[in-house]
Amino acid sequence: MAHHVADDAAGIAAQVRAAPGVEVRAEAWSWQHADRDSPAVSGLDLHILPGEKVLLAGPSGAGKSTLLHGLAGVLHDEEARGSGHLLLDGRDPETARGRSGLMQQDPESQVVLSRIGDDIAFAAENLAVPRDEIWERVDVALRDVGLTQFDLEHPSAKLSGGQKQRLALAGILAMRPGLLLLDEPTANLDPQGVHQVRDAVLRVAESTGATIIVVEHRLEVWAEHMDSLIVLERGGGIRRRSPAAAILNDENLRSELTQMGLWVPGRDPMAGLPEWKPAGAGAAAEAGGAPELLLEASNLGIGRHSPRRGWHRSQPAAPSVSNIDLEIRRGESLGITGANGTGKSTLLLTLAGLLEAHSGDLSAAPGLKGAGTKGTGLNGTGEQLADDPHRWRSADLVARIGMVFQEPEHQFVRGTVREELALGAIQAKHPGSTEPLFPAAEIEARVDRLLDRLGLTALSEANPFTLSGGEKRRLSVGTVLAAGPALLMLDEPTFGQDARTFTELVSLLREHVDQGGTVVAVTHDSAFLGALQARPLELAGKIHGAAGPDQEPFGASRSSSWLGRRNALAKLIAVFLVTAALVMTIDVVSAVVVILGSLALLPLAGIRPLAFMGRIWPFAVGALVAAWGTAIAAEESGRVILDLGFTTISEGSVALGMALGARALAIVLPSVIIFSTTDPTDLADALAQQLRLPARFVLGALAAMRLLGLLAEHWKTLGYARRARGVGAHGGFAQRVRTTASQAFGLLVQAIRMATRLAVTMESRGFGAGRRTWARPARFGAADLPVMLGGLLLGSLAVWAAIATGTWNFVWT
Amino acid sequence: MSSRTTKNRTLTWSVSDIVVASVLAVASGVIFWGWNLSYHLIGNLFLFYPPVETLVHGMWLFPAVLGALVIRKPGAAIYCEMVAAAVSALLGSQWGLTVISSGFMQGLGAELIFLAVLYRRFTLETAILAGAAAGVTGGITYHWIVPMYAYAPLETIIHIACFAVSGAIIAGLLSWLATRGLAASSVLGPLASRRAHREPTFIGGAPRG
Repeated sequence: MAHHVADDAAGIAAQVRAAPGVEVRAEAWSWQHADRDSPAVSGLDLHILPGEKVLLAGPSGAGKSTLLHGLAGVLHDEEARGSGHLLLDGRDPETARGRSGLMQQDPESQVVLSRIGDDIAFAAENLAVPRDEIWERVDVALRDVGLTQFDLEHPSAKLSGGQKQRLALAGILAMRPGLLLLDEPTANLDPQGVHQVRDAVLRVAESTGATIIVVEHRLEVWAEHMDSLIVLERGGGIRRRSPAAAILNDENLRSELTQMGLWVPGRDPMAGLPEWKPAGAGAAAEAGGAPELLLEASNLGIGRHSPRRGWHRSQPAAPSVSNIDLEIRRGESLGITGANGTGKSTLLLTLAGLLEAHSGDLSAAPGLKGAGTKGTGLNGTGEQLADDPHRWRSADLVARIGMVFQEPEHQFVRGTVREELALGAIQAKHPGSTEPLFPAAEIEARVDRLLDRLGLTALSEANPFTLSGGEKRRLSVGTVLAAGPALLMLDEPTFGQDARTFTELVSLLREHVDQGGTVVAVTHDSAFLGALQARPLELAGKIHGAAGPDQEPFGASRSSSWLGRRNALAKLIAVFLVTAALVMTIDVVSAVVVILGSLALLPLAGIRPLAFMGRIWPFAVGALVAAWGTAIAAEESGRVILDLGFTTISEGSVALGMALGARALAIVLPSVIIFSTTDPTDLADALAQQLRLPARFVLGALAAMRLLGLLAEHWKTLGYARRARGVGAHGGFAQRVRTTASQAFGLLVQAIRMATRLAVTMESRGFGAGRRTWARPARFGAADLPVMLGGLLLGSLAVWAAIATGTWNFVWT
Repeated sequence: MSSRTTKNRTLTWSVSDIVVASVLAVASGVIFWGWNLSYHLIGNLFLFYPPVETLVHGMWLFPAVLGALVIRKPGAAIYCEMVAAAVSALLGSQWGLTVISSGFMQGLGAELIFLAVLYRRFTLETAILAGAAAGVTGGITYHWIVPMYAYAPLETIIHIACFAVSGAIIAGLLSWLATRGLAASSVLGPLASRRAHREPTFIGGAPRG
């Protein structure tokens, strides 16, 4: 391989500049991942012409993603085995950095940095493009993907999924690549986002002449715009290669693709299923009445934040949608639709008894509580339950309302598929008691039936996290069905699923409805609503910023104050000097000097004194605790005030405690002021460029920091999912600890999944090797000198005051 | 892609290592935050005798041991603990800027244990020792390097010993269990710890299924 490149390196370099589209070759290429027993791809031979637009298909497990990762040059796990060649214009993809760009499915992991300008510039920086040229490229890329309505400082977190994918495309374009690799780029988007992304890709292909390889389940999005279709064989090789037009007119091919679970244009995946009429509703209509009422909302107001006054929040949160009236009856399907950000998922979580209603009334009818309905699993035992499901115990909820989350993994809390299915039935209890609702033998039987029905019997001992996407989706529905709830809630259940899983899901839900159950789904998928003959409910609340789930607890937003505009390193140095002075001595005088000095600085930081007090009072409490601790545990000196037997409180220890407490408060104030006016991006720029910390690690940490708000969202959702599964944080201390541990583990799984995808994104944009340039210089300006001098002055003043008043108490003696 | 390559284990950090370590550290920050919200009263349990408060401080050490067990590269313990500390400073920490030095020192304690086994053994006893060592270096920092306490000698010893015990259990044992759980969930594919659930529990033990 090395000679191969060396032989005609000069010739290829010239070609690379001349030819806009990359020529792709695979020669007997195989790849086996480190943790697998068989190769993902084996013996692949492939030739794609410069500028060719290829739709890549194949059954799941055919190595489509592996091939794209290989072409992107990001495939080099330790202990993996590869053979043969992959070549971009005759070069190894790993040495052809910037020639190809990769876009993955999940929009969140396609964004690296928190301002859109920086995010687009990131790849160009990694390729060491000169600074002026970077910003030219950023402007062009932003225009090419149609995001010019945003300025370069716009927060990437505030973009919708479709906009994030277009931002990712812009970041790729800033490398000026000749090959675009798109791995299910629109699978997680709503219909509007799908078309925006598709059109942007096609426009770019037109104007740059880049070669394009797209993997997607929904062929209709791409079929008519592509040149060719390549179908991979599971276990290696190419099964078929045809003109893309054949997808529309070759019936043999269309059947073959349908068999693989792909969405073939003009084919209804439900066509194979028998004609269906919801039995529950029909029967009731024949009996001449409306079906039994299960859940009723009148004048309901909903919101993500608790309507209660928090212990630290001055104003309770306002509802995001109000005045919702709704009746949910037995045997029907209801589809909640509406634009992004209108509160659909919030409504679903509220109806499912997981979020507290803000206003109005949500009440479960006797039919749902199980009171009086003999013959169901509940046998008329629910009379004593409160009307509002939010007040039910987790153990009561699980047998009445089931919630299927958008991400199946949020629901997984056990080590095997079998245990996962059994959990809901085990946790279901009779109201007001801890007596199990189902006898052990029945639980066993239910689990066996479900395993069989879901086609998971062979996988009953597998770890749920290791299942394929379709299997996880089926299991997530099964776990909920296990405890026999009448009401089934689903949040975007068909997102990213292939046609086969879609069909299986629909037939499962039809059975549920036929057995007198009810389905409520939040979805953008009109095929899904049609298949269930669902009654639509359009939610038109105020739109609170498409992708803005709350990131408030971590709002390190950019401060426009005088201090906010100063260099981050200068501020860090200033805090360091003040902190160092305080650390040196334990005495009240130096601490008081710094506390007063910090308060005097508030106007420079643009912080209102009252808001500041609201923020620091927990630290003041902490300082008191520290003072108390020292009063008890320090060496006895002076008169003994209190003798506790095992320890004493003396005059000397109290004085020392007070000094330590004041010092603790003094240490925390300057850092709170400085950090609340310092943007993480600016800090990272300063640390890497001025302090010369290793750029890979600084940027890695910065990219991770962007995920903070998202991880906090995951944390909350994992908590709701635990309550929905019957293992909520109720009851005693032990149960709370167990739930928190399970929630923490769930968070780690999601964090690592996100990190792995983010690492691929970053590496495919040239991150991690070689010299890089910085689009924005971090340097000291004239106004940064007073910041550092100010820190020095306050620190010195504290030391001087302590010495002058004779309280100086040096710690390292 | 050259012919016939099998890449062997190296001790240099890949991009995946860096990003996963960073995100783990940030997720740890979120877990601290969740822990604080649920248990902000737990500290009050120790008001009767504050030197034993460190019995729950092991919670603040888990990023060091978890990072080292998952990433298995030199510096992982120090890096994860420091980034987690930086996150908590950013969210507003009781200790201000001094969390950076305590983060470094706590990470250093765990790091020394993994260095002693040359980054080859990631067994239960290694994890427990690393957690305890992080508690010891953390305690040393509290009392002598960046002193935040002024305890009498006996109380100082109790304070540090409780920190070490808590580190051994919460940071050591729990991180080891979490790593095995993560490996069994097959999310560690790109990392050196991908087979952690099949490794022996103790040094010299037989590998598991």
